[in-house]
Amino acid sequence: MKNVQKKMLLFIAALLLVSGFLAGCSSEGSGSTTESGTEEKGNTITMSWPRDIGTMNPHVYNPSQLIGQSMIYEPLVSYEEGGELKPHLAESWEISEDGKEYTFKLREGVKFSDGTPFNAEIVKKNFDAIMKNATSHSWLGVINVLEKTEVVDDLTLKMVLKEPYYPALQDLAVVRPVRFLGEAGFPEDGDTSKGITNPVGTGPWLLDEYKKDEYAVFKRNPDYWGESPELEQVTVKIIPDAETRVMAFEKGELDLIYGEGAISMDSFNQLKESGEYTTDLSDPVGTRSLLLNSTNEKLADLQVRQALQHGFNKQAMVEGITLGLEEKADNILSTNFPYTNVDVNPVEYDVEKAAALLDKAGWKLPSGKTVREKDGQALEFELIYDKTDPIQKSMAETLQAEWSAIGVKLNITGLELTVQIERRKSGNFDIDFWYNYGAPYDPHSFINIVAEKGWGVSEAHSALPMKEELNQQVNDTLASTDEAERQQLYGSILGTLQEQSVFVPISYIKKSVVYQNNITEFKFPANRDEHPFNEIKIKQ
Amino acid sequence: MISSIRSVKKSKKAIVICSIILFFFFTISILAPWISPHDPIQVNLLQKLSPPSWEYPLGTDHLGRCNLSRILHGARVSLGFASLIFISSLGIGLLVGTFAGYKGGWVDVLLMRFCEGVMAFPNLVLVLGIVGLLGPGLWQVVLALTMVQWVYYARMIRGMVVSMKEQNFITAARISGSSTSKIIRTHLIPNIIPPIVVMGTLEMGWAIMDISALSFLGLGIQPPTPEWGAMIHEGKGFIRSHPELMLYPGLMILFVVISFNILGESLSEHFGVKSRN
Repeated sequence: MKNVQKKMLLFIAALLLVSGFLAGCSSEGSGSTTESGTEEKGNTITMSWPRDIGTMNPHVYNPSQLIGQSMIYEPLVSYEEGGELKPHLAESWEISEDGKEYTFKLREGVKFSDGTPFNAEIVKKNFDAIMKNATSHSWLGVINVLEKTEVVDDLTLKMVLKEPYYPALQDLAVVRPVRFLGEAGFPEDGDTSKGITNPVGTGPWLLDEYKKDEYAVFKRNPDYWGESPELEQVTVKIIPDAETRVMAFEKGELDLIYGEGAISMDSFNQLKESGEYTTDLSDPVGTRSLLLNSTNEKLADLQVRQALQHGFNKQAMVEGITLGLEEKADNILSTNFPYTNVDVNPVEYDVEKAAALLDKAGWKLPSGKTVREKDGQALEFELIYDKTDPIQKSMAETLQAEWSAIGVKLNITGLELTVQIERRKSGNFDIDFWYNYGAPYDPHSFINIVAEKGWGVSEAHSALPMKEELNQQVNDTLASTDEAERQQLYGSILGTLQEQSVFVPISYIKKSVVYQNNITEFKFPANRDEHPFNEIKIKQ
Repeated sequence: MISSIRSVKKSKKAIVICSIILFFFFTISILAPWISPHDPIQVNLLQKLSPPSWEYPLGTDHLGRCNLSRILHGARVSLGFASLIFISSLGIGLLVGTFAGYKGGWVDVLLMRFCEGVMAFPNLVLVLGIVGLLGPGLWQVVLALTMVQWVYYARMIRGMVVSMKEQNFITAARISGSSTSKIIRTHLIPNIIPPIVVMGTLEMGWAIMDISALSFLGLGIQPPTPEWGAMIHEGKGFIRSHPELMLYPGLMILFVVISFNILGESLSEHFGVKSRN
């Protein structure tokens, strides 16, 4: 009798287990049933962001989020499609012959959200506040060469540089720190680096309601000087977990998921295949590359670097791992940046050629062994990657498997992001993953770090025979005042880098967006860090 | 359900069944290199996420690696290293426990207060701290878990030694002139080993859970070596389209840990040993 009871209980236990399982697997179906709730909201949208938007101070960095800062504050010059610079808060500008003086004519009739006028006085005040804290902005070239700003008249401002620096305007288009806070936002001592009193900007959006780590509500600025957005309100919900975001989206709580890596590749494809939502990918915003450190004596040999580049199936790797969300890259910089449209010979996947190159370089495969050797040394490298990044991890594992086929042993080491960056900056690596900064920072920030030490990239190139010449070319380019000469210099620099294979381009990173079908218009901003809300239209 | 597990574990059948399951797992972990159909780290992106087939009985993962082969090799890592942790922490515990218990006095006080100090921390917090200091890696995890686990053995062994050394057969041995080391070797240790092995069975379940947990967090075994916890972590990105990637290794951990626990509980009831829980 007791035995029967026992069996029953066991059976029930097993049943519970199995049903738990099935419930877990079928959650997909139950998620998308409620799509109401979006209807009554009128001209507003709700989106999610992984982190709290932070203090909306235009002159500081983390934890403030670029997306929020770019909604409230505006630049003098805006960065548009293909790197074109358009007047924004500055109506026009003149650059002196020697490239050292920039005179901006400011737009008339622009008001801050508290009603105070936007003029040269307040622009200078902002520049002064930024320059007070110049060391923390030294990554931005224009800050390093800025000598002073002068108020010429109410709506004219002169910017004087210590030396000519051609990308100055492009640097003024970035989201931070060169954007403008109204008088009412400044603390008493005028030092914004310690905090602001009020987020007063000229932008099309106002911060209306904010609860730390929960949500932020942005309302349309009723007195905006330019074309007002169609949307009346944007609610940003803070949801740190990617899967939770997707679930909230499927339930209709969110209208939009937007950003780089804001949604996993798997979920993106599922939502796309479901056909119930609209999904889209942006143009390349950056290139995912490998950085081969030429100070490593094995990697100092160009033939070894080329062999590594020939030795893996890039197409299959990029498609397989990013599930089509990224695109195979042959250029170090994608051609949608200014001056980057140079012809390159793509390095194709060719195992035999890779093996031949290694043979030629003296790395022979001893019989009975799987790793090539030269003078008793094995052809062995370490690849460091960010262990929390699933794409880097998968690519590391793939490269390890692929290169083992050409007799190269790759050890892969997952690191904390901060440790990875530290090791890169000190040049203490064989092979590392690397991304360029994107628009509007490139291509000038990119060539800058090829020459400038301290970021790991210059260090990785330091064993190249033409390194001195490269540095000189970079300096010439940044100081050049002639368009044609600049194009020619860029072509030459990018050509050399491409040939030298210290950078191994892998894929172009794209932004992804998923939205409900009631959103009829969505455009990715040309500037990587800008928000997309001005263009969005909703079907009523 | 609770009452059912109680009644199951009381029966000798449980011991037999769990032993068979565990024997099976140990066998496959030893034979993994010969019985797995593929190389577990062979990447084949053209075959990624393919459904079960004759070639890949459990399908493939996101890099086209054979799931079955990875699970088989994963068993090797989990069981092998859990055994290693068991043996090393038992060794240290035995040494410290018998020494403290037999010597008594300030040596005993000092060692036992140290053990209590270690036990005062939640286990996983301490392990995370040690691994954080030493850096991620399987050997570091083994070291950290050993450093944390031996105190439980030491405490228990010391208790048994203290109660045993007053017993007549020990006194008899001492009177007849046996040396301390001989008494410990021939009289004490053989008597405390069986209950300790029982306790170890329970601890094995914990060790497997801890190894998997740390690997899941990225602190344990480093890719591309297959390990169950790490496999669950890798499958996490595909939970919507391919939940089986998490399910297979999850079930393996479930079966092994439950078997160890039921076996341990049944044995401890049989021997009258109390575990740490």
